[in-house]
Amino acid sequence: MSARANSVAGWWRRIFRRFGSLELLAGIALFAVILILILFRAQLQTHDPYVGDLYDRFSAMGVGGHLLGTDNLGRDVWSRLLEGIRWSISAAGLATVIAFLIGTVVGLVAAQVSGWVRTLLNQIVDMALAFPSLIIAIIIVAVVGRGFWPLTITLGLVSWPVFARVVYAETLSLLERDYVAASRAFGARRSAILLGHVLPGLRPTLTVVLAFHFADMLVAESALSFLGLGAPLGVPTWGNLLQESRDYLMVAPWLLIVPCAGIIYAVVTVNLIGDGLSSLARKRGLRIDL
Amino acid sequence: MKARISAGSRLLGNFVVLLLGITTLMFFALRAAGDPIIVMAGENAGPEMIAALRQQYGFDQPLLLQYLYYLGNVLKLDFGASLASGEAALPLVLSQLPATLLLAFLGMTVTLVVSVPVGAWLGARPDRASVRIVSAIVVFAQGLPGFVTALILIQIFVVQLMWLPSLGHADVRTWILPSLSLASFLAPKLIRVIAANVAEAMRQEYIRTARSIGSSAASILWREAFPNAILGTVALVSAQFAFLFAGAVIIEVLFLWPGIGLLLFESAQTLDFPVLQAITFVVAVLVFLVNTLSNLVFRRIDPRIGQAVS
Repeated sequence: MSARANSVAGWWRRIFRRFGSLELLAGIALFAVILILILFRAQLQTHDPYVGDLYDRFSAMGVGGHLLGTDNLGRDVWSRLLEGIRWSISAAGLATVIAFLIGTVVGLVAAQVSGWVRTLLNQIVDMALAFPSLIIAIIIVAVVGRGFWPLTITLGLVSWPVFARVVYAETLSLLERDYVAASRAFGARRSAILLGHVLPGLRPTLTVVLAFHFADMLVAESALSFLGLGAPLGVPTWGNLLQESRDYLMVAPWLLIVPCAGIIYAVVTVNLIGDGLSSLARKRGLRIDL
Repeated sequence: MKARISAGSRLLGNFVVLLLGITTLMFFALRAAGDPIIVMAGENAGPEMIAALRQQYGFDQPLLLQYLYYLGNVLKLDFGASLASGEAALPLVLSQLPATLLLAFLGMTVTLVVSVPVGAWLGARPDRASVRIVSAIVVFAQGLPGFVTALILIQIFVVQLMWLPSLGHADVRTWILPSLSLASFLAPKLIRVIAANVAEAMRQEYIRTARSIGSSAASILWREAFPNAILGTVALVSAQFAFLFAGAVIIEVLFLWPGIGLLLFESAQTLDFPVLQAITFVVAVLVFLVNTLSNLVFRRIDPRIGQAVS
């Protein structure tokens, strides 16, 4: 019996060592739920998310087979929520990837070059970080119009300086390490140092920044959609659901509560992963300043 | 003296890059919208009017010349007239600025009033159970987007309880929810930073010395640890300004607060480019002022920084 308890404890300890922190583990588990909801969306939807029953408007949660109630057109909120999750998650995810790619390249270039190019790149990044990017995003999206790609690309284009700053600072400090100096002394090429030492060295910091950036992009997407500048009309993303709920706050508060809960769940989950990753990095003796 | 001049010229350089970047971005955003004249003239303009406008704004010139012409106008602080109201764009934006500054001030005040004691308390005794629970709440609160908090506050206090009016900013009672909403997304981060800095300061030698000569716990915290912890906090507060401003946009829209954010939202919807250009210009100037000011404050509280630079 006690041997068994020991092995269970040992099993947990191994998982812990693998994932390093409770926050990370919890975050990953909670995020898995989101992925399941996305993957099995069709099976989990109880109604057509776009078709309503006008005789069944504003059903409260759980009434008439509607898990989360119905909206002003009698559409099933649960099915609509599931329909929108995929949109929000992939828009935020792609925007994060775009920002990550641009930012990493700019940061690496700024750390490799010297002279006025470096000064200019750093100045641009500095100023872009100081300027509220949401303002630029609002204007660009207003000009180019709503839609998945306009929104995603805009969010990526206005938010890459975060990555550039981190990558630049990290790369400079990595290039000063003894093992990099050693391989340089052995005649390693710049590209070999970049691929062999710098990129692997950037990984722990970048994963943390990626997680937090993803959370920021989720919020930005929902905020812009809520303002009527993000997702196309009719697509039930969290932001659009919130927008639609505004006229019915008195009669149907669940129309507000459901998308709010969705956003909070997703953002807290991703933040947990970010916190977990950074405490894991700290445990391994790395310092992450964000 | 020399160091001061070079620091000044660097600041000036930053400012030029910022303004140049923003105005250039706006110039090309205008191009991306299609023919700017058609956007500016509106849908009902006849061909003569379009031709006249084209000439008036110099849009019959090559692109590079247009760009220089546009920059020249920006230098003269001439952004043109609002397409919606016909008012000069820059004065219009400046007339809405006080409301935004008021909101930012209120939000920042609430944030500091909450964050300083809570952060110091969390940092002073990081191992207590009650501290752990509050820390967890703070982490959770950090995940709440400001506009979601605002919507929930409106739902509770305006719609359900009907305790507060929600819109505008004439009545002082309408100030409460917007400033709380703004503080709700600034405070968690600040609390965590203050807590971390205080905890770090409490581990230093001078704290042990103070304790050994019998200083009270409160005196140790507020007179020794906190002043040293506040440095990183000032840096964060100024870095959060961009964040504060972005948050203010959506809070202003939600509460119909007549500031720059609301103006931005309305002008973006009608593609009122003169106003949008004036807004980005004013925000760029504000960003520069705040950064410069916080730099000065920073040097004032920590003389080491000025020395390190020179």
